[in-house]
Amino acid sequence: MKSLLVRCAMSRQAVGLFMAIIVAAGIIAATGSNAAEALSAMFYGAIGDIPSAVSESFKSHRLVLPNEPLRLIAKATPLILSGLAVAVALRAGLFNIGAEGQILVGAFAAATVGAAWPGTPAILHLPACLVAGMLAGASWAAIAGALKAWRGAHEVIVTIMLNYVAIQLTHYMVNGPARDPSSLAPATRLIQPGARLWALEGGTNFSAGIVLAVAAAVAVWHLFARLRIGFEIRAVGENPEAARMAAIPVARTMIVAMAISGALAGLAGAVEVLGVHRRYLDAFSPGYGFESIAVAFLGNLHPAGIIASACLFGGIAGGAVHMEAFTSTPRQIAGIVQAVVILAVAVRWNAAGRADRNARQ
Amino acid sequence: MSDEPAVLMANITKVYPGNIVANDRVSLAVREGTIHVVVGENGAGKTTLMGILYGAVRPEEGRIRLRGTDVVFGSPADAIRCGIAMVTQHSSLIPALTLLDGVLLGHEGSVAGFLRRRAVTAQLDAIAARLGISVPWHRPARELTVAALQKAEIVRALYRGATVLILDEPTAALAPPEADALYSTLRDLAAAGTTVIVVTHRLHEVMEHASRVTVLRRGRVVAETETSHTSARELAAQMVGGTSQPVAELTRSELPADWDAGNADETPALRSARTTPGLPVLELRSIRLRGRKSVAEAPIDLTVHAGEIVGVAGVDGNGQRELVQAILGFAATGGGHVIVNGTDVSRAAPRRRSSAGLAWCPEDRQAEGLILGFDITENLLLPNLDRADLGAGPRMDWPRAGRVASEAMRIHGIQASSPTARAGSLSGGNQQKLLIARALICRPKCLVAMQPTRGLDIHAANAAFAAMRAGCANGMGVLLISLDLDELLEMSDRIAVLYDHRLVDVVPNVPGAREMIGAMMTTGMRPQ
Repeated sequence: MKSLLVRCAMSRQAVGLFMAIIVAAGIIAATGSNAAEALSAMFYGAIGDIPSAVSESFKSHRLVLPNEPLRLIAKATPLILSGLAVAVALRAGLFNIGAEGQILVGAFAAATVGAAWPGTPAILHLPACLVAGMLAGASWAAIAGALKAWRGAHEVIVTIMLNYVAIQLTHYMVNGPARDPSSLAPATRLIQPGARLWALEGGTNFSAGIVLAVAAAVAVWHLFARLRIGFEIRAVGENPEAARMAAIPVARTMIVAMAISGALAGLAGAVEVLGVHRRYLDAFSPGYGFESIAVAFLGNLHPAGIIASACLFGGIAGGAVHMEAFTSTPRQIAGIVQAVVILAVAVRWNAAGRADRNARQ
Repeated sequence: MSDEPAVLMANITKVYPGNIVANDRVSLAVREGTIHVVVGENGAGKTTLMGILYGAVRPEEGRIRLRGTDVVFGSPADAIRCGIAMVTQHSSLIPALTLLDGVLLGHEGSVAGFLRRRAVTAQLDAIAARLGISVPWHRPARELTVAALQKAEIVRALYRGATVLILDEPTAALAPPEADALYSTLRDLAAAGTTVIVVTHRLHEVMEHASRVTVLRRGRVVAETETSHTSARELAAQMVGGTSQPVAELTRSELPADWDAGNADETPALRSARTTPGLPVLELRSIRLRGRKSVAEAPIDLTVHAGEIVGVAGVDGNGQRELVQAILGFAATGGGHVIVNGTDVSRAAPRRRSSAGLAWCPEDRQAEGLILGFDITENLLLPNLDRADLGAGPRMDWPRAGRVASEAMRIHGIQASSPTARAGSLSGGNQQKLLIARALICRPKCLVAMQPTRGLDIHAANAAFAAMRAGCANGMGVLLISLDLDELLEMSDRIAVLYDHRLVDVVPNVPGAREMIGAMMTTGMRPQ
């Protein structure tokens, strides 16, 4: 009986991370830089100088937090939400490549509602914005779910195409009818103060969005562990034919799973505009929707794993900037680290993987 | 060396991972130009032994001699080169290709890159003519019956130069007249010098057609003898061993037709006399089945009463699947009514039909029955998600569901370490028990069971039937769809015969019904 700790340490994820660090060190060394120096710069950039923050706190008798962990969390927040989105769809056997598009329409809907109705009390306005973002993302993804369930259109193709539609549609809106004329960059009008998420001043982008992301992770865990619809989604994902023969409405379940997935991605977009940007900025997403696919796989489709892997990706992104600033290593090396982690997770190193190979021979 | 056997397998031992001994020092000697039958229960090691002879399985020990020459097979390709051919249970011909292309595939015989279709067809026709059969070489495999595909595979094997022909359960999906025709072909082949090895569990075939028989039990040879020196009764006893298994519990499919079961309590006639059929639990009124191309012309009327088992006989592909889909509501019919326990559910979704009192056991346990990655509890709840008393409902009550699953495992004798054991880790028999348990747990009025004993051994099949009979005693009606006529004759009170997507007739299961049903299955007409 292996303990949870041992299983985590032996997991593909841990092995993958370890290999990624070794590969990254090798590449950095090959470019003629000091690998240890670069990697430790990256590590400090990710989580900050915790020991000196602690001693500072004791000296000044107030809590001193370094900015780096806050940045890490801020970066991880949209990744957690959209990673959950990808995971929910995958549990139903559907590959939602369209989280990016769902983030954009969710963000645009939330920003539009947020900028409207000045003077609305926050208790109404903020939830209305969040719901608008979730509904927009859910309907966007449900298009792909419905086409798959009723017409057999492959969800990968449909979600990719819907990404293009979402990108161009929001691009048009924010440059045309919805543009704030007083803004230099293409953006919508500012969101009313009552609709904004609480956020920390000082450029860390840290906002109350993380609370929503963790709550969403708990909700997704509850969905699959306790609720009938979650059980049905898992059944459809494991074996749609057996689910159909067990009188589970497979088509409806697929559409519901895609809608839940899209709602989570839409929430990610809403949280970004309500907590960070305060308005819809054209092309604000640096590809959260695509990165979240890797986050979901690295987190083994489990909510807790997704939180951990989103934090890892958030840390790598923050650490890379720091590494570039303080060493001679370019930040693109972080992309290699991410890629190696994903590749190492995709390969199964254990006995099951070997058994598969033997079975094919 | 004419007295050397055509095939000699000596001291073959095969151990699968997990220390499962499939073959334990098995020896087999087959004389040239004879039909040699290997019989045994499921799991006795027949398929493994044939796999070794065909080069698909590598033994740990033992050797193979063909006509006095030692051979070692690394793959089926080696075996084919040595003149060994295998006709498997499921046709290896690709459905979309014509039979001719199926023959050419992997054995193209091209001249400068061009296939010699015409020359090959002529050769094939010559072989077929010698056997007195005809094969439609230019039709796609999917349009043909199992019997026609088998003929094509046999001719293909001879075309490729096979001198040893292995057939694995060749009659499993054949009607009795088709099976007789197949054996007559095999006898002609043997007379012409081909060595034929048949794997089966139908003992009357052994007695009628084989010259020599080897009985396997639990991976060992328990008997090898001339068929003239033994009897079906003796073979049956050797197959199951002198265990606690009372002879009367054997299903008749394992026994010859003239077998006297000796336990009259279990004959369908007496059972129906004991429990007079009650109210109709399933009525089909003027159902028209949709075939692949068109809607069947003749409507189907069929009634299942409480407490009775109605069998559905027919050669594979004559509308069994469509009938079941129409009853369960998975496919549209060409008209008509389905009435479950007095409620017209003709337009209702499967889930509504289920709550009206219909339950079913899907045909393919692993592909459409169970979710192998789910545990026993989850599989048990899968079709019963409306049942709060089982722990289902909008919010799942897993602790309660686990208790329900433990109880079901106890009642139905499902052997597993706990209700959290994955369905994929269960044996075929226990998987079938789980399927039946979850159908019966909602106390249905009518159970539709599709091939519930497919691939099961006698003990597991008996357990499945015992569960159904217990349900019947409590007033459930059963519609039993099976391709095994012997099994239907053993179990059913009445037997409906399907032919070309229509119902030929429903006949009471009386002694002597077998021949009439066999004729109806193959001609589609009731003999005068």
